[in-house]
Amino acid sequence: MSNEAHSPYLPIPMHVLHAYYESNDRSLKTLELSFDDPQDAREFFAAYNPGQFCLLSVIGKGESALGIASAAWEGDFVRFTIQKMGSVTTALHELKPGDPIGIRGPLGNGFPLEDWKGKNLVIIGGGCAFSTLYALTKHLHHPSNRGDYGKMTVIYGTRTSGLCMYKQDIAAWHQRDDMEVHQAIDVPEQDWLHHVGYVPDVVKEVKPSPVNSVAVVCGPPIMTKYTLPALVELGFTPETIFTSLEKRMKCGVGKCGRCNLGPKYICKDGPVFSLAELNDLPADL
Amino acid sequence: MNLILKKDQLNHLLNSWRQDYEVYAPQALQNYTHFLPLQDGFELAFDKAHNTRIPPKALFLPTSEALLKFTKFGGYEQVPLETAPRIIFGIRPCDAHAMTMLDTVFEQERYTDPHWKARRDATLLVGLGCHEPCQTGFCTTVGSGPFNHAGLDAILTDLGEIFLVETLTEKGEQLFTQLETATEEQSKQASEVQQAAAASMPIAFETEGLKEKLDQNFDSPYWEEISRSCLGCGVCTFLCPTCFCFDIVDEAQRGERVRNWDTCMFRTYSLEASGHNPRPSRVERTRQRLSHKYTHWVDQINQIGCTGCGRCVRYCPVGLDIRAMLRKASQLPSEVAHV
Repeated sequence: MSNEAHSPYLPIPMHVLHAYYESNDRSLKTLELSFDDPQDAREFFAAYNPGQFCLLSVIGKGESALGIASAAWEGDFVRFTIQKMGSVTTALHELKPGDPIGIRGPLGNGFPLEDWKGKNLVIIGGGCAFSTLYALTKHLHHPSNRGDYGKMTVIYGTRTSGLCMYKQDIAAWHQRDDMEVHQAIDVPEQDWLHHVGYVPDVVKEVKPSPVNSVAVVCGPPIMTKYTLPALVELGFTPETIFTSLEKRMKCGVGKCGRCNLGPKYICKDGPVFSLAELNDLPADL
Repeated sequence: MNLILKKDQLNHLLNSWRQDYEVYAPQALQNYTHFLPLQDGFELAFDKAHNTRIPPKALFLPTSEALLKFTKFGGYEQVPLETAPRIIFGIRPCDAHAMTMLDTVFEQERYTDPHWKARRDATLLVGLGCHEPCQTGFCTTVGSGPFNHAGLDAILTDLGEIFLVETLTEKGEQLFTQLETATEEQSKQASEVQQAAAASMPIAFETEGLKEKLDQNFDSPYWEEISRSCLGCGVCTFLCPTCFCFDIVDEAQRGERVRNWDTCMFRTYSLEASGHNPRPSRVERTRQRLSHKYTHWVDQINQIGCTGCGRCVRYCPVGLDIRAMLRKASQLPSEVAHV
């Protein structure tokens, strides 16, 4: 991978394995992609760390940056959940099983899982940004990883229940005795048994303990903006709060300049930063 | 090693290089000088102490270049790399210095850009020092200079009838094997010309503490004041030798994935799919341009990311002058550093 001739702009050839809608309004679609060449799969999974992202490539349309929503142990495929926004994401929504696609990645740093060993994890997500936290949770659920970490608390909010992703898995998480799951929606709905309210308020209500804990927050900017101070108020230090940033990206490898944030590039130096690191960077988000 | 190149031998030397290299040198085209490949009967346009309008970075990062070619059935392949040997003759020290800064972006260990690297590895840079520095340049203010050696394989000093040639690398030495060695007197004369050129350039603004002032005044009205008359045309970035931002787009009809120069001075550069834009107005975009050069590069490579070529000053359609902006910045209040 590291030899000079290998272009970081050359996508890995893949095919669509499964394609299904994730939300009842059909704005979110999940694609599971398989590698055309098993060697590419081996290299990908050897490099992959939850929290990383890829650039998905529809030839003739362009590329879109998306967080990886699967854990390596799930199989030789990579999962992405795509919100339909512009031309590339629309083209991604139109893909069917068997269609060719390219990906570049895994890109970015991912979550600092080694540093988190032995700690309780508070995983806080909102909307479709929950995808990499889903990958993280799945990764931690694997028996060979689970013992390395303490208590797991997941707080996941969506605007409506219909926009909640990975419903079957999350329903099963409620039954597990090794984790705590708090789901929330913004406004009340009939038959909803969980929290109603915005994620920062739910965090204040759940009051996860900061003792020997790290918190990781992924969501829309407005959610992140109010959740980070809520965690500080609960006693989490800036070094124990992590978030994943997003900005417009093109190259994904720290060259095109687009995701520049102070001396950092979100694609290459992030997307995962601690609040302590963010406090040292300009508010250029 | 110091050598002597008589001016009437120059064309002969350039022609001899043309047998093994594509040789680029400044030539007139329409109203500007450009680095163009030498053809039979070429006429050089490097007598004025004036830079080409488009910096030679364009020969390494073209304004537009294909990265991938699409093949049938949804496939694609990498565009072959350009490895033909080239010499760029007459590059000014500011532009050569800028190449070494861009190397830190494109030749990082983890993600080397093969298109950039292939062209860099295949190209020799023969510089022409500025014995009569240009009016808009401020290289000496920002850590470069009219005879700076950074990035060059050889550098020429104009001594009237002759050029004094200093070879700086082994490859550079190979280009000038036919020349006579300079006398001590000639070397001394060249060094006087070089020192006089640098000494003739006034310090344009104070760089000491500038980074800290810009960092600490992120929310200052200063940025609105300096960007007020900006048209957002982006010429300051497109013509900047250290700017490297690009866009990647699929040209479906041509069957290519292409990268094109882009600029942080455009609204759509940072506009996100959600409609959110971290830099919604020229205030934030001007702040990004200046901060990138005068604080972010300093954090990254401990050098100001500007070599003082003066193009942004010369070509700004509304006469905005980065030197004046930074003089004003040096008047900003600075906080006591929190230890």
